[in-house]
Amino acid sequence: MSIQYKSIAELKTMLNNNEISNAELIKETFSLVKSNAEINAFITLNDEESINKANKLDDCPSSGSLAGIPIAQKDLFCTKDLKTTCGSNMLSNFIPPYSATVVKNLENAGCISIGKTNMDEFAMGSSNETSFYGKVQNPWGKNLVPGGSSGGAAAAVAAGIVPAASGTDTGGSIRQPASLCGVTGIKPTYGRISRWGMIAFASSLDQAGPIARTAEDCATLLNEMCSHDEKDTTSLNEDIPDFTENLNSPINGLKIGIVKEFDLSKLDNEVVKVFEESKKHYESLGAEFIEISLPNISLSVPTYYVVAPAECSSNLSRFDGVKFGKRCESPKNLEELYIKTRSEGFGDEVKRRILIGSYVLSAGFYDAYYKKAQQVRRLIKNDFDSAFKSVDIIMSPTTRGPAFEVGSKGDDPIQMYLEDLFTIPANLAGLPAMSIPNGIIDNKPIGLQLIGNFLDESRLLQAAHNFQISTDWHLKTPTGIKS
Amino acid sequence: MDKKTVSTIAYLSRLSLNEQNEDKITKDLENIIKFVDQLNTANTENIEPLASPLEKTAKTRSDNVSAKNRKEVFLERSPKSNEDYFLVPRVVE
Repeated sequence: MSIQYKSIAELKTMLNNNEISNAELIKETFSLVKSNAEINAFITLNDEESINKANKLDDCPSSGSLAGIPIAQKDLFCTKDLKTTCGSNMLSNFIPPYSATVVKNLENAGCISIGKTNMDEFAMGSSNETSFYGKVQNPWGKNLVPGGSSGGAAAAVAAGIVPAASGTDTGGSIRQPASLCGVTGIKPTYGRISRWGMIAFASSLDQAGPIARTAEDCATLLNEMCSHDEKDTTSLNEDIPDFTENLNSPINGLKIGIVKEFDLSKLDNEVVKVFEESKKHYESLGAEFIEISLPNISLSVPTYYVVAPAECSSNLSRFDGVKFGKRCESPKNLEELYIKTRSEGFGDEVKRRILIGSYVLSAGFYDAYYKKAQQVRRLIKNDFDSAFKSVDIIMSPTTRGPAFEVGSKGDDPIQMYLEDLFTIPANLAGLPAMSIPNGIIDNKPIGLQLIGNFLDESRLLQAAHNFQISTDWHLKTPTGIKS
Repeated sequence: MDKKTVSTIAYLSRLSLNEQNEDKITKDLENIIKFVDQLNTANTENIEPLASPLEKTAKTRSDNVSAKNRKEVFLERSPKSNEDYFLVPRVVE
């Protein structure tokens, strides 16, 4: 029986019923990776260790909730003794001496990290076109981008190679590729998952999360990924519920907010139609829609493009060619070592963001840009706080449209930045948000975004699961993928 | 945004831009700064800046040594090191 397109829940059943051994599962996974190599979803494979682990599990079964399940790790998480590049030339030789807490948590639950997925360089991009290791193909079309930055992760799940992948989301990097590849992804509340061992882009926005085929699998993964971690000072020390517990509870009376300021009339008719159909479906499940106002939401993208580059310019100053990563050839002095290493090691988009960051943080501009953006960030958060007094969740399209063609955003960075219009607000406010497949337009999938209140992932997953057990958009698969 | 400003912030960022790139980057940065200037439409009088969505004081932990000294493990990942130090071009003549 093929393992392609199977969910974690289905693979667990196959393993438990001895329909497949752990070793067979991993070998078939690597055979899918190889036959679909042109998707370019992986930067590094962990084949030898994965097969050893699977053999061990066959000899000595484990009771972990993810025992034997193949998972792809985004190449932004440090993995002990396994190359971690963050999509950059700067780290093309970096082999971490430790694993990220979230990777450890997943592996402690028994999962097998089969490799590291391709991504936009340092997670800066929405199309996977900024990776030093080449573009990732969207499984739904050779010339389509998979979204970004977790493009390799979403593509690997969409092609049915792995049932799940880890991702990170700073401004939409889990939800936007999930939407464009027709898979399910969730960014939990800021602080739920430890950032220790995650290569930092914008520390006050970065949050890890899972990408999988179903909301049910995302809940299983979140149960393992979330933890309080003393090594991350922003790690939340709150109770972590069993996220699978309420999945099947009906959503009668669920109050869903529709944001007045998200002007859907600017989107293609087809995108609006898909969204309206999902609203009707939720109504048939007993949900109630309420129009809400988030008056400052239109300033989310400009706020983000001050806050994120500022934090990025500070975080990426550690890449100096001294302690790890690349170093330029024969520098004349220390300053040249820094400048040449950084100029050779970073790609154009990363440089652009470091420069914006240095500008908005420099003397004379700090108040006008950085402080101002942080003030607007509070206004946006306050808007959400008021809205959640009258609604349980907020719903919108995840993206402005389905996957676009490689190179089609031209060389105007702002066009690419606007790709994250609907996803950025949840990062600014630290709120949990997810994307679930809810339609197909011209043979390309598109997703529905659900935003929840602080720490309310369970309700998001419940709303998503209720949608998925009564629709089949999440079960659609692309054609032309090799088995 | 002019070339002089761009070259100052490039230096602050320890990045060098080649001639060819400089024009394009200057134009891009100008457009991005124009774009973020929309922030001026918001009234932020008496609004406290929000630096992190958690707004909690970072929790401290007790000051116990919890990690082993793994000097060699870290030094061997450096592009250039000896048994005790990371090596860089001479700073003091």
